[in-house]
Amino acid sequence: MKAETSPASSLKTLGRTGFGQKIAVVLSIAKTTVEEAIRRRVLLVILLIGILFLVVAPGLNVLTARTQAAILSSFLLGILQLTGALIAIVLTVYLIPNEIERRTIYTILCKPVQRWQFLIGKYLGAVFALGMMMALMTVVMLLIFWLQSTQGLDFPPSRMMETVQVCAMYFVQMSLLAAVAMFFSTFVTPLVNFFLSGGVYLVGTLFNPYFDSISRAEGASAFAKAGATVVGTVIPNFANFNVQNTVINPGAEIANPTWYYVQITLYGLFYISILLVAAILIFDRREL
Amino acid sequence: MVTKKVAALVAAMGVLFVGQAALQYNTFPTWQKNYSPSSVGDIPSGLSQDQLLFALTGFRELVGGILWVRANSFFESGNYDAVVPIIRLVTWLDPRQIDVYSTGMWHVAYNFTDQEHRADRRYVPSALALGREGTLNNANTYELFFETGWLWYHRIEDDFENAIKWFEEANEREDILPARANILAQAFLRAGQPDKAIALFERQLEALEAEVEKDPTFGNRNLRDTVENNLDTNLVRMASRGWFASQRGESLQGYDTYPPFDVGFSARVTVVAPMVIRVQGTYGVQPLGTRIRFVLKDADMPNSVPGGMKWDSLDSFRLDPPTGITYVQDQLFIRNRRFDKTLDLSRDPTMYSFTADEYDVEFFYSPNVAPAHIQDKFGYNGEGFTDSNFLNTEVRPGQRVIYNKMTLTRDQIRRTGEWRDRVPVIQTPNFVAPSQGRPEDDVIRVPNLRADNQ
Repeated sequence: MKAETSPASSLKTLGRTGFGQKIAVVLSIAKTTVEEAIRRRVLLVILLIGILFLVVAPGLNVLTARTQAAILSSFLLGILQLTGALIAIVLTVYLIPNEIERRTIYTILCKPVQRWQFLIGKYLGAVFALGMMMALMTVVMLLIFWLQSTQGLDFPPSRMMETVQVCAMYFVQMSLLAAVAMFFSTFVTPLVNFFLSGGVYLVGTLFNPYFDSISRAEGASAFAKAGATVVGTVIPNFANFNVQNTVINPGAEIANPTWYYVQITLYGLFYISILLVAAILIFDRREL
Repeated sequence: MVTKKVAALVAAMGVLFVGQAALQYNTFPTWQKNYSPSSVGDIPSGLSQDQLLFALTGFRELVGGILWVRANSFFESGNYDAVVPIIRLVTWLDPRQIDVYSTGMWHVAYNFTDQEHRADRRYVPSALALGREGTLNNANTYELFFETGWLWYHRIEDDFENAIKWFEEANEREDILPARANILAQAFLRAGQPDKAIALFERQLEALEAEVEKDPTFGNRNLRDTVENNLDTNLVRMASRGWFASQRGESLQGYDTYPPFDVGFSARVTVVAPMVIRVQGTYGVQPLGTRIRFVLKDADMPNSVPGGMKWDSLDSFRLDPPTGITYVQDQLFIRNRRFDKTLDLSRDPTMYSFTADEYDVEFFYSPNVAPAHIQDKFGYNGEGFTDSNFLNTEVRPGQRVIYNKMTLTRDQIRRTGEWRDRVPVIQTPNFVAPSQGRPEDDVIRVPNLRADNQ
């Protein structure tokens, strides 16, 4: 049974040919990665702590008299985002280094499996696992909102739907973060990768408002503004996905939410593709 | 072969890169529109809320809540200075914290006082700037429009047009409470526009009558009765003060505001000790309730206006007042037609630094802020009062006010230089020493039922 779920044995679908065969290989690796992720204790501990924080969050209502819904939704979404980011990084930084360290990568790559298939499979597996964990937290969060609304919290069902949309955007955000970590994992150690990916997330989250300030600063030179525009269009911009304002402050609305969500999802997919292609280019040349 | 594959991948990367850049370039204005703090107007952009580290994990509102709880403990322990930066931080973290804005405005405008509980009014422009910022961030509710208007109405007690402007904004919001909507009428009265107050009362009465029809609970009936009473009282007052007659262009003879009463203002300012000032004077109004505004300020103070300052001069909230500026404002209560008050300004050097060379000493009285029983004689805009020496119709266009300005030097106030052993005294030419008094027939007689019976 165990042998069937190992990367090597999962390649029984290799009898197929062409593109379908290649995709089948990728999916097999992804499936194995998901199963590995679910068994990893450190991820489960992070998930458990995240859920624990979600459950105790309603106790924070004492912090303010008239904005319980805002404080609670802010905290719950913050926990979900933080836990999601931690899981995305911790899950991804070890994926390739672990395979190399345990030498299991040799048994996989000696089969007719190309390196790009291995890398894409690993990434997709990480994203599936991440999605499952974030979905679980989202369900817990919605349950808390529902329980609180039965006790008088002003949180109508329409905001529940908006919360799901926000969580979906967080998922795209964390998938992008996982892609960043995957890219770095092809050439740096896990510890360095942890801080490097965290740093990119930090900069990518803070850049939009920073760029906004520069573009509005009266004293900023044209060169600085042009530089900010260039950098702003080059670095992965995580702030785009922080759409929680609509849930936390019902007065805030996105002018055209559908188009905005489609646009930033496309943006996320484009950037993930760039990072994966770059990772493939590096991984292909790496001495194992 | 390998080179071809690499070239294809690099080309794909290039295409994707251009694609994502185009998307990001297109997305940013939308992001800016929806999430940037500047989306709500010209709020100071020195430090964007999202630039704070807390935003990274989305705990902005939570941290704001925790900080506000901490601010409360500072307030309870009397550490008022520590509260101001927290107000700033919380409103940056969570611009939807209406209570923090309103409490912060009140705190900044009212709670900073000297040893004699005299307010540091250099903070008032900051409080107004905070209120303005709050209204921009919370334009969907009446509360901060009302609170900002209330600062003009109650704290500043001058330039009631500004109070009206903010109260009207508040009244346009759907969530305005009926009892608070009434305050706009009071502001109209203070601004000398009773006709607009009456029009508002009438609209409110009509709406409340309809409300009582639907829901005749005590609260609704009480509100309706209050508005009706206000309407009746003010119509009587307008009639007795000759408002309708003056609107018809008729003489005010026979009305309570005729003939204008000469209040006989005079003043003397004595520097009894270094930075201790005694202010004495006369004001011939017998009934209690009259307060004359006393102002001592740098002669070259920026944004100075007669009897005050330009209160809305600040574009953004500041944590500290302009420390190099001395601005003293106090109320002189009239008792037995005289005022006599000693102001010890020596114990608060941070409020009263006295670094300028010269100081304006101003006395200001506007009938607009007089209590109703005195306005019954003086009229809405001072048409029933006069002063043979200090009546001024220029410093507040449209109003008849008392205004007098004298000058003190820094050496006089600090009792240094040639004034070390001499007592500086400045006074109006008509100042009458207390022992001399004034003839009894100068006393204002306010018409009311009780007086008529006597």
